[in-house]
Amino acid sequence: MVPNHRFPRFPLALITLGVLCLLTGSYLGLFVAPPEHYMGNVQRIMYVHVPTAWNALLAMTFAFAAAIVSLFKSDLKWDARLEAAIEVGVLLAFLLCCQGAIWAKPTWGVWWDWDPRLTTTAVLLFAFAGILALRRFVDDPVKRATWSAVATIIAYVDVPIVYYSVRWWNSLHQQQSSPATVSSQFYLPLRLNAFGVLFLMSGFIMLRAEIASRRIATELAPPPRDLVGELA
Amino acid sequence: MSGGYITGGWAFVWAAYGWTALVLASYGISLFVRLRKSR
Repeated sequence: MVPNHRFPRFPLALITLGVLCLLTGSYLGLFVAPPEHYMGNVQRIMYVHVPTAWNALLAMTFAFAAAIVSLFKSDLKWDARLEAAIEVGVLLAFLLCCQGAIWAKPTWGVWWDWDPRLTTTAVLLFAFAGILALRRFVDDPVKRATWSAVATIIAYVDVPIVYYSVRWWNSLHQQQSSPATVSSQFYLPLRLNAFGVLFLMSGFIMLRAEIASRRIATELAPPPRDLVGELA
Repeated sequence: MSGGYITGGWAFVWAAYGWTALVLASYGISLFVRLRKSR
């Protein structure tokens, strides 16, 4: 694995595009879209909450794909990608829980409820955060890549459970909407923010993977000659 | 809340957007700092 030491410009372009989409989408969601009939202005949290949810699950799905490729190809760049996708996925899942709590208080009257959707999302957050934490205790990059991939595949089982939890069990959380059930006035800010978080997430994962690649390259590098001389 | 309708609520909206912006911006900055350190 040969790390690229030039400053990565493509992720920077993605992050810039993501910020522009988010600024435009949030402006439309906050000041142009009408308030929802029952929830009023509180519903505007949807324009940031739903894109965060979609992209958190997408980041975990990328981590799952990276885990499978990492197991079949002995190339540690896939382990770097896995680490990056998990970290960004955990960040988005954490934000998702925070935004959900802020929306839950005025609508449900509580910050948190042990509802199936909320509980499975919390399990997802802690499972992937646990993988990130445990990676720090394994020094051998090859062993770390193998067991991280296995742990990621096991933890990923929770992703479809999170998605379908609102259909499988009685949940306070509303079911998924579709373009047919969302008013056209709500559609544009939602889509713009969804693409905004997608571009931002992709840029973050690329930068984080570059950082992980450089660290793994350092770990695999032979020890300095003076240290070898001292040991001999 | 009044008659099944939620009134007000802008404070919650700003809290959600503000916290999201703060967390994403902080993470983005931390990535650039870590990338520079890893050269």
